[in-house]
Amino acid sequence: MTDTVIQVAGVTKSFVRGVNAVDDVTLSVARGETLGIVGESGSGKSTLLRMILRLIRPSAGTITLDGRDVWNAHDRDLKAVRRQMQAVFQDPASSFNPRQSIGTILAAPLEVHGIGDRASRAKLIGETLERVGLPAATVSRFPHQLSGGQRQRVAIARAVIMRPAVVLADEPTSALDVSVQAQVLKLFREIKDELGLTSVFVSHNLAVIREVSDRVAVMRHGRLVEIGTAERVFNSPESDYTRALIDAVPDPFRRFRAPVELESGS
Amino acid sequence: MAAAAGFDFRRWRLVLLGGLLVGIVLFAAIFAPWVAPYSPFDLDVTQMLQGPSAAHWLGTDELGRDVLSRAIYAARISMQVALLAVSVGLVGGTLIGMTAAYFGGLVEQALMRAMDLLFSFPAILLAVVLMASLGTSVLNAMIAIGIVFIPGFSRLARASTQAVLRQQYIEAARSIGMSDARIIFREILPNIMAPLMVEAAVAFAYAVLLESALSFLGLGAQPPDPSWGNMLSTGRGFMAQAPWLSIVPGMAMFICVLGFNLLGDGLRDVTDPHMRE
Repeated sequence: MTDTVIQVAGVTKSFVRGVNAVDDVTLSVARGETLGIVGESGSGKSTLLRMILRLIRPSAGTITLDGRDVWNAHDRDLKAVRRQMQAVFQDPASSFNPRQSIGTILAAPLEVHGIGDRASRAKLIGETLERVGLPAATVSRFPHQLSGGQRQRVAIARAVIMRPAVVLADEPTSALDVSVQAQVLKLFREIKDELGLTSVFVSHNLAVIREVSDRVAVMRHGRLVEIGTAERVFNSPESDYTRALIDAVPDPFRRFRAPVELESGS
Repeated sequence: MAAAAGFDFRRWRLVLLGGLLVGIVLFAAIFAPWVAPYSPFDLDVTQMLQGPSAAHWLGTDELGRDVLSRAIYAARISMQVALLAVSVGLVGGTLIGMTAAYFGGLVEQALMRAMDLLFSFPAILLAVVLMASLGTSVLNAMIAIGIVFIPGFSRLARASTQAVLRQQYIEAARSIGMSDARIIFREILPNIMAPLMVEAAVAFAYAVLLESALSFLGLGAQPPDPSWGNMLSTGRGFMAQAPWLSIVPGMAMFICVLGFNLLGDGLRDVTDPHMRE
């Protein structure tokens, strides 16, 4: 079980001189595993995800996907990286081009990577829509005609239609109602298991992270506070910050537990 | 989405009114040979500077030519000039603006500073300088006016592109592995067309005025070709004896410019999501 798919080594990003949004983060994700990254707003978790996705260039450090340096990949290597790694974004309202039908949106990754012909693409789009629980007629719909939950299903369909090895998700459920959240999370987990995906799942919601993750990384102020199996991190957190984070979740049995004080500063 | 609720006349009234005026001018321009009662070039020395009459509804000019017919043919030249000029400005400005916003950094600095430079000249002065260097002809007037429009369109395209770039579907397109060209033309362009079309309608009105100004100064359409600008220029000499020589081309310009402005304002109201009830 030491088949590493994503390797992040000493990655730092500073948007403003002297302030590191992500500060010297090193972590790895093994094949088939889901790494949950949790942290408050501004902890650098989304920035880290975007650096892995090759959307924001790191100031220092390297990121490799299956041994390929993501940021130094060119031409064919870059195509391979793009094809293997797909993303689900946070905002179901803005993650689709409002002028394109769902069919056009789902066909784009296939066209870009030259997969199949027109007929086989249409077939694959139909199958994928069915798999994410949407009717076949959705192909002719436009994003604004779908609900938030339906759009996130389309987002998952777009991410897996090319059968990537890795799916990175940036708060994919935080814009949704709680009941819809649960459905989308369930779908995400099912598809992940079916396709044997490796994934990184970013969220500020501890319950969501606990639900989907095999391992959990906790970030604060751009630094990795702790990382370990989900069970270990949630049951016996090493850092005070993690403990405080877990403690901040509304808990009906809270008054039976000892309060935890968080030291100010780091 | 109350598309089935019927046609909302109030929302579209400006577009309809503007469209009607523009339609009249376009109709006259396209069907000039059938609409105009006389040839715009026919001289009749016995009929010089005649006031409006049954034979010549809007009178005759200093060479006895029918003013109505000349005004109708002049619409042709105005529309041709405006169409080509706006196309030059729209295509050039949009490409420059999108490129600047998309690539950012030095590319953006270089392009937008060049646009600032172009923008800092008064429009008419810039057009006159360009005409002087290109030579006086209708085609060159079109190009000169088009160049005058490029900075305005480029700024609008740049600002609109920047707004679209912040949308997650651009990140989604990048992570799929889409090429820059495909992102620019398939993802960004369709989403910035609405404000550009509004600007185009307003620019059309301005192009008509600029063309008339250039012709008035003798730099646009050359006599005997009729243009509202050169008709106005001749009319100026006969202001007291034959006021219709100035009033007719003036009114034609007024109708045309008003029409395009109303159309532009109306389109803005209809396409701007903030104005929707």
